Amino acid sequence: MTSQDAQDLNFDDFPPEVRKFRSTVREFARDEVLPRALKNDQDAADAFDWDLVQKGHEIGMTRAIVSKEYGGLGVGVVGVALALEEIAAADPGVALTFGATMLGQAPVLLSGDTRLQARFLPLFSGDDVVLACNAVTEEDAGTDLVLEQSYPHARNVTSIRRDGDEYVLNGRKRFITNAKVASFASVFGNLDGYPGATGLTCIMVPLDSAGVTRGAVADKMGYRNCLGTEIHFDNVRVPVENLVGGEAEGGPINIAQGNMARPSVAAISTGIARHALEVAREWAGSRVQGGTELWRHQMSARKLADMAAAVEASQLLYRRAAHRVDSELPAPAYEPAVAKMFADRTAIEVASTAMSLMGARGYVKSYGMEKIVRDAFGSRIYEGTPEALALTITECLYEAGDEDDPFE
Amino acid sequence: MQKFESTKQAEAVFGSLFSILAEDEAFTSALRENDMTVRLLHTKPECRVYVSADAVELGEEVPERSTVTIKMACDTADALWRGELMMPSAVATGRVRIRGKVAKVLELIPILQPAFDRYADIAGEHGIAGGK
Repeated sequence: MTSQDAQDLNFDDFPPEVRKFRSTVREFARDEVLPRALKNDQDAADAFDWDLVQKGHEIGMTRAIVSKEYGGLGVGVVGVALALEEIAAADPGVALTFGATMLGQAPVLLSGDTRLQARFLPLFSGDDVVLACNAVTEEDAGTDLVLEQSYPHARNVTSIRRDGDEYVLNGRKRFITNAKVASFASVFGNLDGYPGATGLTCIMVPLDSAGVTRGAVADKMGYRNCLGTEIHFDNVRVPVENLVGGEAEGGPINIAQGNMARPSVAAISTGIARHALEVAREWAGSRVQGGTELWRHQMSARKLADMAAAVEASQLLYRRAAHRVDSELPAPAYEPAVAKMFADRTAIEVASTAMSLMGARGYVKSYGMEKIVRDAFGSRIYEGTPEALALTITECLYEAGDEDDPFE
Repeated sequence: MQKFESTKQAEAVFGSLFSILAEDEAFTSALRENDMTVRLLHTKPECRVYVSADAVELGEEVPERSTVTIKMACDTADALWRGELMMPSAVATGRVRIRGKVAKVLELIPILQPAFDRYADIAGEHGIAGGK
């Protein structure tokens, strides 16, 4: 191993601007997000803490992945993932509000289209917060729009038709995070003339366009501080300049976007697990039973040790995946999928164990652990279910060395 | 059938192309400001080009390390420089693979314009025609 390789593998020594950003975000999470988390969680499903999101915007959370050229922070996927772990350790719903905005920006970033970038990316650097969303999931097509081999089988996908200098969209997207509060959406639809979703095409759609209707907010079990909503497109017209990539080239963009996003989702799951561990550690350090603190009892100690090890492993996996995504084009599929699958599982297992350590208090809302457990189940749904991730991972395991792969 | 018949022919084309960029102040300044070196590893046939703010080097002996490494087939490079293949599509489908400071590479694309403008003429001078 060369010294350069060794340096690349040190995930505790981040560039100065990334360290500074994480430190700022950590303070934001501690001072602003955590104190409001329980109240916001218990609010009505469609309540949205704009004040909190505005504060996050002011420290750069809506433009962290945007390059400095367009007013962003340019901290890369590593910087974004570290920041999202910090916020998720206070409230993953707030982390996802920012993460979903970056997901909406991702197609434009990945397009390399400087005209599109110059039009959309500076909008996230103004004084007032602007949110975005990424609209893929539909009533009849979930994973069918994520796995390339499923594209021919996708049904009733939002349609895109070219009409002169415009594209016309018709259809309905479901469970779209931020759709209720976003100004823009990156929308994936199927170009007319292609079966299923084989003509998947990505278009940036201003959500104040005529024909766009936002539906009711889903009343979710967890992640209640971000809003998931339907969007309806009824003959929505957008200029052809809003096309991302090319016609029927949305598939590779969607896949690249997923690979780019998964380390950050893994970071959110890791943040949830870390939060559960922190609460459990505090409890087990102060609660006395049998004449001594809980953590001195061997059974409890084993639980805490397993939780700590899982959180550490989860951190290493997502940071390695994020580093790979920052260092390779196209973004690798394997490491992000492994990191997300592991971290999602870790969040659920650590939260569950932490709850058991707290006994009855773990089951009572006011202690906070009950919310962590509910949130823990959310991450494994979006940006790749365990089933979809397993297919991606095993495909990589069985992938034959490609003689055309220039890095082979 | 691949367009490039030999390493010598590929080096003549891509060497000339990057020599043009090496004379472009915007390009060299961008490399210098970002402390960036680029190694292009063309395949089919093999053709290695190393580009820094100070020089363009060709051949098997180019430096092994660079801040960015780009690998692609010569025919893929030909299609890219002609504007027949878009970089996002080439990257998304794995025809072009990049390792290193990815964000910096994407920022470089707009300042490659002088090379895009001249490529067809340079290729033609060395017997590489347009089209498939």
